Amino acid sequence: MPQKRVVLKNCGIIDPRQIATYLQQDGFKAWQKVSTEMTPEQVIEEVKTSGLRGRGGAGFPCWLKWDLARKSPGIEKYVICNADEGEMGTFKDKYILGNDPFSLIEGIAIAAYAVGARQSFIYLRAEYHYLLDLLQQAIKQVEAKGFLKHVKIDIRLGAGAYVCGEESALMDSIEGKRGEARYRPPFPTTEGLWQKPTTINNVETLMNIPQIILNGASWFNQIGTERSKGTKVFSVSGDVAKPGVYELVLGTPLRELVVDLAAGEKIKAVQVGGSAGRIVPYDKIDTPLSFETVLGSGAVIVLNESRDIVNAVYKSLEFLAEESCGKCAPCREGTKAIVGIMEKFSKGEGSERDIKLLEQLSSALPLSSLCGLGQAAPFPVMDSLQYFKDSYQSRIKEKKVGVVK
Amino acid sequence: MPEVKKKTKEHESVLVLLQEAQEKFGYIPEDFMANVARSLDISLSEVFGVATFYSFLTCKPLGRNVIRVCKSLPCCLKDAQMIIESVESELRIKPGETTTDGKFSLTLTNCVGACDKAPAMMINDDTYTDLTPGKISQILKKCK
Amino acid sequence: MMWMDVENITLTINDSSVSGREGMTILEVAKENGIDIPTLCYIPELSPTGACRICVVEVEGSRALVAACHTPIAQGMVIRTHSPKVLETRKTIVELLMASHCGFCMICEKANICDLRKIAADLEVGLPRFETEKRFYQIEDVSPYVQRDMSKCVLCWKCIRACREIAKKNVYGTAYRGFDAKVVVDCDQPLNKEVCRDCGICINYCPTGALTRPKKLGEEKKGKPLVISS
Repeated sequence: MPQKRVVLKNCGIIDPRQIATYLQQDGFKAWQKVSTEMTPEQVIEEVKTSGLRGRGGAGFPCWLKWDLARKSPGIEKYVICNADEGEMGTFKDKYILGNDPFSLIEGIAIAAYAVGARQSFIYLRAEYHYLLDLLQQAIKQVEAKGFLKHVKIDIRLGAGAYVCGEESALMDSIEGKRGEARYRPPFPTTEGLWQKPTTINNVETLMNIPQIILNGASWFNQIGTERSKGTKVFSVSGDVAKPGVYELVLGTPLRELVVDLAAGEKIKAVQVGGSAGRIVPYDKIDTPLSFETVLGSGAVIVLNESRDIVNAVYKSLEFLAEESCGKCAPCREGTKAIVGIMEKFSKGEGSERDIKLLEQLSSALPLSSLCGLGQAAPFPVMDSLQYFKDSYQSRIKEKKVGVVK
Repeated sequence: MPEVKKKTKEHESVLVLLQEAQEKFGYIPEDFMANVARSLDISLSEVFGVATFYSFLTCKPLGRNVIRVCKSLPCCLKDAQMIIESVESELRIKPGETTTDGKFSLTLTNCVGACDKAPAMMINDDTYTDLTPGKISQILKKCK
Repeated sequence: MMWMDVENITLTINDSSVSGREGMTILEVAKENGIDIPTLCYIPELSPTGACRICVVEVEGSRALVAACHTPIAQGMVIRTHSPKVLETRKTIVELLMASHCGFCMICEKANICDLRKIAADLEVGLPRFETEKRFYQIEDVSPYVQRDMSKCVLCWKCIRACREIAKKNVYGTAYRGFDAKVVVDCDQPLNKEVCRDCGICINYCPTGALTRPKKLGEEKKGKPLVISS
């Protein structure tokens, strides 16, 4: 089976409120190895050999972020754990945080050691406020065991803004400002939080770190495909009998996830990566899930044959337009314009001309938007135009009206 | 209006102060924002800018129980519209409104991360999942 | 002293080799070499914000276009400032801005000196085809020093930066989010600040007719005859 528990290894096995249960599962052995036997450079080298890439969606090599931040001049540095999982259809980090906060803390401890950071923040989305207590208790327990002498971990709560999952907006939010995207360069690794070198890693990325240290980079390196190492945790929702969180080896075909595991039937399309994700039609369901193909945050929304793709795209873009920070023109105006056109289609008023406009916007936004939100926003539009143009055209012909059902 | 403690820490966060006010008063009063601006030596417009950016902060008083029904795609696929309608008819308010007794406010929100148990909604900090119109009135009855 | 600076970075813009100094942006180097890249939110004396994205250019090896106003040059960069891809993208952005812009050029004070209109004309953007909602706000004419018509604002954030960085008064801020984003005073009150007396710096920076000097009735008759400059 392609299912393999690396990130979720302890979920459901340990008691997230009792550090003793985590220690029984080799908890903090990786940290002890790092702190007694390894230099920060060796840790970074190990992560480099492992091939671990960021799990938030962009897939940036994890070691490179660490290395750049480590080599940036300055004593004050930060490690941020991005727990602002806001992508529509994503709930894996919630599951991880609620079931195994200790692995995450161990990952942060190792990251801080490698980067040379003495302060770390976990940026938790407001919707997960109920996890705050659990996380704080976990940090306290780890501190009491003496594993966090080199770094202080604080939790900052978001306040309801999807764009704060974007790393530069996230930093502005921790600074207490509006969560607006910053232009790059400078990159966070040189001028990040409070203009200090900062690395920002997704929850899931950090969860992999203790396992890589414990089992060795070559063990991790053997899992997955050539450019996508390790496993990925997916959040499956929509038209499936068994929605939930699944961890699979990278490169596993989408079919195994949505048909074999989640028990989806009569699938029309799968939206992989959430609101700004890619739409995979059923005839491409054997596409492997990897950084080379489709992946994103791991949100997998299944649409069955009764669903209308145009409406699903409309809902996705509505989400993005509402969550756009409003700073840069193409995203602020462009997402709104797309929603306007999609609304016309949903009212049965769309035309061939509107399809041309959608195509024009789909090409301009990825090229010109300031951050990932605007750059990825038209993906569902593009994909639906490529694979489901007939849905649009039948609406033009029949003046079909309909809202999302 | 309560004074904002004069803080000298370099990295004092406007957002954190506003979150505290939101939790305490249920909204962010204008005087409070003015105090924050004074104590951190920034302009009121900057504080207002932060307060209006985040959807969990509000500058108008809300009801004691803030209901946020998820309206994103995964919940829509599971008939979120029916949930919205049943909350509306139960409380006789529309999204964006507050009941006259000040007990409930209803708003629609984007993905709350409970898509595997859709449809979902939040009441204050608690998430309610696998909703059906039948469950709504029970849940609302339990609210104080 | 310019001659002492070493132009140590060489790069290619539109097939010709040019050089620049460390720390210069693409826009600055282009300007020095007589290459005109349109800008809306950029002003040399203000910190860049990278918000309007009209100055985007193509850099070889980069998937997306990059904004010339804030991207530093690097050795060996190959840049195209007016490729079809760049022009198409710029046109779309300007068309989008025009679509939600509530100004009516015929009766606008800035009619022939409007930056947005000039850029649109240069890029041959006609009547915008997007039917987006138009931003509409009431005119704020309370202040005797600055009149604000936010319906004409294209959210370039110049006034905020000019007020903060040049006038050092910090009257404006950004509020709300997404399409609803707006330049506000205090808690979105109409502008009426005494600090604006004898200032009006923001007015000079506004690319459209959103910020103007209030006119007393009949004042224009006392002045010179109306000459429309371009």
